[in-house]
Amino acid sequence: MEILKVLGLNKVYGKEENQVNALRDVNFTMEKGEFAAVVGESGSGKSTLLNCIGGLDLPTAGKVFLDGEDLYALDEKKRTIFRRRNIGFIFQAFHLIGELSVEQNIIFPLLLDRQKPDKEKLEELMEVLGIADRRKHLPGQLSGGQMQRVAIGRALIMRPMMILADEPTGNLDSRNSRDVMDLLVRAARHYQQTILMITHNMNLTSDADRVLRVTDGVLKDLGGKRHEKLS
Amino acid sequence: MVRICIILSVFLVTAIFGMADMEIRSQNIQAKRNYGEWHVGIRDVSDEEAELLSLRPKVAACTRYDTLNYRLSMDYEIAGKKAVIAGFDESALDIFSAVEFLEGAFPQEGEALVGKDMQKRLNLKIGDTVILGCPDGREREYRVSGIIEQLPMLAEKDVYGISMNIEDFRKLSLEGAQDNHDSLVYLQFSPWCNIRKEIRLIRESFGFSEEQMGGNEVLLATIGQSSDLSMLAIYGIAFLLAVLVAVAGILMITSSLSSNIAQRTEFFGLLRCIGASREQVACFVKRQALYWCRTAIPAGVLTGTVVVWILCAVLRFLSPTYFADMPGLGISWIGLICGSLLGIVTVLVSSASPARKASGVSPLTAVSGNAWDRAPVRKAVSARLRRVETALGFHHALGNRRNFILMTCSFAFSIILFLGFTVTIDFMHYAVKPLSPQAPDISIVSPDNTCSLPGYLAERIGELRDVKRVYGRRFAYDVPIETGAGQESAYLISYERHQFAWAQDSLIEGSLQDTEEGGGVLAVYRPEEASAAPGNAAGLKTGDVIRADIGGTQCQLAVTGILSECPFNTDSGQRILICSEDTFIRLTGEEGYTIIDLQMTRDAAKDAAEEIRELAGEDVVFSDKRLRNAEVRGAVYSFALFVYGFLGVIALISAVNIMNSIAMSVSARLREYGAMQAVGMDSGQLLLMIAAEAAAYGLWGILLGCGIGIPLNRFIYEQMVTLRWGTSWDFPALPLGIIILVMVVSLLAAVCGPARRIREMSVVDVIADR
Repeated sequence: MEILKVLGLNKVYGKEENQVNALRDVNFTMEKGEFAAVVGESGSGKSTLLNCIGGLDLPTAGKVFLDGEDLYALDEKKRTIFRRRNIGFIFQAFHLIGELSVEQNIIFPLLLDRQKPDKEKLEELMEVLGIADRRKHLPGQLSGGQMQRVAIGRALIMRPMMILADEPTGNLDSRNSRDVMDLLVRAARHYQQTILMITHNMNLTSDADRVLRVTDGVLKDLGGKRHEKLS
Repeated sequence: MVRICIILSVFLVTAIFGMADMEIRSQNIQAKRNYGEWHVGIRDVSDEEAELLSLRPKVAACTRYDTLNYRLSMDYEIAGKKAVIAGFDESALDIFSAVEFLEGAFPQEGEALVGKDMQKRLNLKIGDTVILGCPDGREREYRVSGIIEQLPMLAEKDVYGISMNIEDFRKLSLEGAQDNHDSLVYLQFSPWCNIRKEIRLIRESFGFSEEQMGGNEVLLATIGQSSDLSMLAIYGIAFLLAVLVAVAGILMITSSLSSNIAQRTEFFGLLRCIGASREQVACFVKRQALYWCRTAIPAGVLTGTVVVWILCAVLRFLSPTYFADMPGLGISWIGLICGSLLGIVTVLVSSASPARKASGVSPLTAVSGNAWDRAPVRKAVSARLRRVETALGFHHALGNRRNFILMTCSFAFSIILFLGFTVTIDFMHYAVKPLSPQAPDISIVSPDNTCSLPGYLAERIGELRDVKRVYGRRFAYDVPIETGAGQESAYLISYERHQFAWAQDSLIEGSLQDTEEGGGVLAVYRPEEASAAPGNAAGLKTGDVIRADIGGTQCQLAVTGILSECPFNTDSGQRILICSEDTFIRLTGEEGYTIIDLQMTRDAAKDAAEEIRELAGEDVVFSDKRLRNAEVRGAVYSFALFVYGFLGVIALISAVNIMNSIAMSVSARLREYGAMQAVGMDSGQLLLMIAAEAAAYGLWGILLGCGIGIPLNRFIYEQMVTLRWGTSWDFPALPLGIIILVMVVSLLAAVCGPARRIREMSVVDVIADR
């Protein structure tokens, strides 16, 4: 089942001689449960692609359909709510809220959506992430690996159809990177979620079903276990 | 924001000094007009001494000026009215600008100057003769040599005045009234002279006593040469206010500069990274602040000057007579210089701390991406009962204890000052009679204080086009009464509908309606009899019955209400009882009025008073109080402008402080906000979070401000108003409402700026790793 469809995506920064084409006519689709890795040089347009797909950055042209919904046909408020419910973000710098405990950080999207967290599911998620014993801790009291686990928990709590991860292991050592990747794949498989992950680390692409390369804003599909579901 | 703060500080200082300058100029003109342009007056000076004084190099003008019957205690009369006589040298016309020459010439022997009003009423022209009746029964004739402008004192007392040369005056005063005239020599010194020193030298050289010499203190104060403590106190207050504004300005600019620095921490780190020394970074910040002054100071000075013009125009509109001489589009050089200088000094002082902060930024911040790191959080948000964004907002406010206490106190301080100061407005309204709604412009009084003014006179005057309102009163004096406290004497006064309506505000207890309908009398509160409970008229209270003996007839009067005050005083503490016109006529049989008061329309014709005087006839005391009222009103308006202006400054400074703090808080958390938006917080929720933070400061500030301000307001009110007039304290709902409204508007404004910034920010840019 096709979950993501990107059509003719273009992103241009600046004007006239300062104009930079960050994305040039990007077209691709992703199936439900698929795990794709995006690789490319710094400044090639990977993060721009992720931000455009996630509704954080407005493309200059093109469309992004998520589960059939045209993301940029929605107004800003509706797009935010759509993102909150259907897209989970994982950032390299974690971006946890310093004033919220581990548990509060994880359920933060639920609280924003005025939903009551399901205690059992929350417990299960924290067990899977291995941070159940740290639930009352503040982000400042956690290690980098633990912080990224909390960020993954936050991305998963709404059971979004799509997870966008921007260099999730960029700030972690190799052991923690491995753990986080395992966790991401395991969780995504468990919850049947589609993952699009940016990485510099070619070793991590082995976990992905597909590898996409972005060069000067042009996307190229490098192939992989195409159409093979994670489950 | 820094520019706005500099503009605001410069504007405030320019406006304060500019307004003070304009006020001093206006006071100077007023003082010259009211008291003359003399600097010192000396009693009992011989003509030889006067001659010697006039020859002193620093004396610009010297005149002899004597008055006779100024206190109206002697029977000098012109055309049946009491008269005041003045005698002076011709040089007095230069010193006393109030003696405005309309036509004619300075009086020679056997001649006199007359006022415009007297000239009109007696139909005099130059060359006519006026006859002055003296106390010894003799009459003296003077030929009218010129006409001068009417003086307020003569208009109010309804007396005539003539002026003559000093030789004629001395002849007159020697004829039996040597001890009853005031003989003075007035000196005017040359500009830039050290007047205090010159007065001391004159005293020492001529052997004058302290009592002999008196300064024109108001005029001396306006040129900074007074030693009068009350005048120095006014200067002290102005200086204190300027210092307060300067301190507030420094805090305001420091705060916004710090906010600006906080937003560019990484930039300063980068400067350090590429080789800038700490001193260079500090210098960079200071120079940048000074660079902002280039546009901000002229803008502040210009705004301040325009505001001064507007305030001058407002004062001229409110009290055209009193502030007529206030400069219209005057430039206050003192204001401009003080505003500019204080602006630069304030900016230099204010930039010191942020410059230190910026120079302390580690070069690592530029390369590590830790520029945005804040102090570690110690406690998690409690989000059990509230929405998470609201909880976060409150947590942001309460998280930094020091900042929270400062912000709360800043709010509370504004409220406390506001509530404290507003009592002075109540006090002013009670203390200054011409401000009260019943203050008359003209009073027509029975010459023997009986009910001799016919009732139809009030009706006829009321029909005149320029008359807004007429209200008469009947008086019965020294009515023997018997109350619970024993035998007393009272004034019985009748009120009509206007006066009953005005009395409503003074009603402490009981009802006006019963009295108005003839059911009894109102008693007026007497502070000297104040008992434990404020508002209790010491023995007399609603429901008491007074036995009165009016014209030999015994009657009983029920007290239907107590008034805190009334516009009249009694001679020796008699009780004042107020009744309706019908009751008065029924009790006394008197149908005429003792006093008819009237108020004129704002655009009344200049000669309208003449028309009324003609209607009233010559057998009444016609008291024109418009000039005097205008003077008092003018003084009150400047005081009110000062009080409200000060309150406005307090509110403005707290508003800017609030805006800065919120802006700083938002700047420090911008990246966090970006992350929150990325994970699904919409802009409405974000706005709510910032609003909750601002509301936390506001709520606690208002609670603390009310907690201290309301009891303070009550205490001051009871000391200033209740003790004097018996009016009990009421909850200050209106001032409290106004200051809370100002606070709420400031909070909204404080939230609007960051909200716009957040709306415009790109989530991607904010959360992008650097």
